[in-house]
Amino acid sequence: MQEDLWFTMGKIPARLPAGILYAKNHMWARPETGLNGNGLFRHGFTHYAILLMKDVYFLEWNISEGDPVSQSQEIGHIETSKAESGLYCPAAGTLVRFNAALLNDPSAINTDGYGAGWLFDLDAPETGYMNAEQYLKFLSDNWEKTQAMLKGKMNQIEDDES
Amino acid sequence: MSKGKLTVVISQAPGKNPAKRALEENLAASLLMEPGIELSIIPHLYDLGPDHTGRLFLESIPGDMVVLAWLFPRAAFWLLDRDGIRGTEGQSPLHPKAEKDDEDEPPPEKAPGIGPVGEIPDRTIWCLDLRDHAGHQIYLEEIRRIGAEAALLREGRQAAKQATKPPAVITLGLPTQKKPAPEFTPETLLAPPSRRWYPVIDYSRCTNCMECLDFCLFGVYGVDGLDRILVENQDSCKKGCPACSRVCPEQAIIFPDYKSAAIAGAPVGNIGGLKIDLSKLFGGEDPMVVAAQERDRELVRDGRDAVGLAVGIPKRQTDKPKGPRDELDSLVDALDSLDI
Repeated sequence: MQEDLWFTMGKIPARLPAGILYAKNHMWARPETGLNGNGLFRHGFTHYAILLMKDVYFLEWNISEGDPVSQSQEIGHIETSKAESGLYCPAAGTLVRFNAALLNDPSAINTDGYGAGWLFDLDAPETGYMNAEQYLKFLSDNWEKTQAMLKGKMNQIEDDES
Repeated sequence: MSKGKLTVVISQAPGKNPAKRALEENLAASLLMEPGIELSIIPHLYDLGPDHTGRLFLESIPGDMVVLAWLFPRAAFWLLDRDGIRGTEGQSPLHPKAEKDDEDEPPPEKAPGIGPVGEIPDRTIWCLDLRDHAGHQIYLEEIRRIGAEAALLREGRQAAKQATKPPAVITLGLPTQKKPAPEFTPETLLAPPSRRWYPVIDYSRCTNCMECLDFCLFGVYGVDGLDRILVENQDSCKKGCPACSRVCPEQAIIFPDYKSAAIAGAPVGNIGGLKIDLSKLFGGEDPMVVAAQERDRELVRDGRDAVGLAVGIPKRQTDKPKGPRDELDSLVDALDSLDI
């Protein structure tokens, strides 16, 4: 078993399990075995994404199981205690199924993000996903920019309030 | 409407979804047996043009009403407002107006929108979303609860009227001739309208900033005599295009039938006011870019030139003063302590 990698966000480490794949939109992807689909991946939020969002309150999909999807297509929406965001498909393909358990109670995303908190299964012939080392480098390379962006958003929020 | 009765209107889902029809029919059947309720059924509220009997019927209702539609309550309420069917927005526990999700952080008072134009009649309109629950019983119970609330409101109004009753001599004047209400048969009420597509402004959020007017190049928006923004030409709007809604800084523009909840009039709650938008980080395009793309698609379809981001895109966040500010510093500190 390969060891997990860790990315330190400020003081908090985000766990990046080795042996699974990662998309630039901070979702992990694990090839689904035993389901005949060569390009079938289970997807979920990386620990990094979850640490940014904090507690998930509400998750909603605006496409149906079986729908074809394009890369970056908006497929849903999430609201958490600290953030809200559209959800976007990390690769083109077919959205095979959503994790139905999350629609009633999305808290598994926070408690078991790499397991029971999975989001959807996507059949994607070509993904361009990264491995854990590459994702770690991607996070490090972009950390400064991300912080600036988050702070920018915070400024905007402050402006809205004043 | 007979005195003391509560008008309940079911606005049917467009299309022939059997599950939706079943809910409508079950609810209608139980409401017909219900005392104190005057029930009517109309087609999808959003699709009713100005001449549709269903709309004329809504306009003829003088008192309190409950409107059950396959729309977010905020969308239904402001849709009715735009059609001149006005009142105070009734609150329902089926969908609380603002979610209190951060009790330790009370949301700051938002700058209020400009509000609806003109006088608001003294009556209440409750809008319920039929997508919230699959069974009709919960709606029936809520309508009973509203019936009781409406009766109390009615009593209050009558008491107020009694208190301010003008001297009898004035009432001796000629009674104003009331136009007789037109006949509304179930057939004319339910004449199937064609699908429509246009924005609805939530004036409780709109600040009259005019960004939508600058952005839309199809002449949908205009201003009234008081220089207040309004949707002037509903039918100039491009079917399926929600671009102006993305540009609106206050989430005040609703496309009630759009697929994503934020644009279709979902409760705004704290979203946008207090929370960080991570869409860009999670792979979403800048909403301005998406809006410009959607607009270009429609321009090209009309045989016009695409304009991209060159026209009517608000320049927010550019050359913002970056001077040292105490609050800013503390906010950055707050971000650092966000545990990220």
